[in-house]
Amino acid sequence: MNIHVSELLAAYHDGELPSNRQHQVEGHLQDCSTCRAELELYVELSSLLKADVVPYQTPPQRFAAQVQLRLPRTLPSRISQKEGKPPRWALGIPLVLILVWAFLQAAIKVTSLILTADQFFGVAIFNSWISTEGFLETSANLFLFNTLVLVGTTIFWSAWMALWLAWQKNQNVLSIKGGVT
Amino acid sequence: MMNLTSPPGTVEMDDHALIACAQQGDRQAFTELVTRHQDSIVSLTYRMCGDFRLAEDAAQEAFVRVWQNLHSYKPQYAFRSWLYRIATNAALDSLRRDRPTTDLDSLSLADPGKTPEQVAEENLRIGHVRRAIAQLSEPLRMVLILREYQELSYQEIADVLYIPVGTVMSRLNSARTLLRQELLVLLEEA
Repeated sequence: MNIHVSELLAAYHDGELPSNRQHQVEGHLQDCSTCRAELELYVELSSLLKADVVPYQTPPQRFAAQVQLRLPRTLPSRISQKEGKPPRWALGIPLVLILVWAFLQAAIKVTSLILTADQFFGVAIFNSWISTEGFLETSANLFLFNTLVLVGTTIFWSAWMALWLAWQKNQNVLSIKGGVT
Repeated sequence: MMNLTSPPGTVEMDDHALIACAQQGDRQAFTELVTRHQDSIVSLTYRMCGDFRLAEDAAQEAFVRVWQNLHSYKPQYAFRSWLYRIATNAALDSLRRDRPTTDLDSLSLADPGKTPEQVAEENLRIGHVRRAIAQLSEPLRMVLILREYQELSYQEIADVLYIPVGTVMSRLNSARTLLRQELLVLLEEA
């Protein structure tokens, strides 16, 4: 006697076994009354469940008409809401640029204050670790970089807004086309 | 306008053609899709909701969602799995929003070819079966319905429910084991 194939019977009953396994189960079932009885339970359970039929169906034309009534007047755009949203990086880059710009602004202000204090009071506050010339040079570089960041951010935002407006316009055109049938 | 009638065996291909038309805003093609799949979708939502009014409402809602999301459908996916997934979600939403108001046993099962005694006996048996199914947890019930009533393959069920095939098999086994215990008397009678 082969070992029982209980664990394969459900898949066998559902027609989900590969052919080699199916032959194996069929061969076993010919000799094993226990597995045959178990398979019979699957069959009977299916029959019992399927005896419960859906009692009534709305006529197809009426059902379809009811669905039509619930449909929005226009076909949704091919661009889904998710696709319509700007990608995260597109928002992240200007944000980083603005933060860098703000940081540089603060650095320049602090540098200016220190230099002013140094010159006004005649006290070389930080001369022990950096020279006034060094401060001036750094300050000039920071100012240049600051300006570049500001210009870059402005260009990026302008380009982004133009792209966004063009996108929205295209989306509206698609929606209108979808509604005309 | 395309020819909407199709020979047997080419349903899936024609579905894709209809979807392509519907994606361009062709409401007649969409209506044909609705008519073609109405039976299976209402059957599915009815099995899940246990209430015909809720089931029809959920089925209609499912088709509205299909229309609203046609642009995201890609032909490489099986339309039936996509449709069933939407219908399953619509039925679950419907159940959460509006519990069934009809007793599961109260649905008419009258058959003119049967005696009143036979009808009463059948009502009793079917009521017992419905209660047993209703007692299953939602994940088990969904897998059972998709397999036993909708006759989807394990892979299709996995696609509809976004679960692995192994999980489909284990849930199906659990559901059947519980049902066999619950319906032992009826199975012995059979």
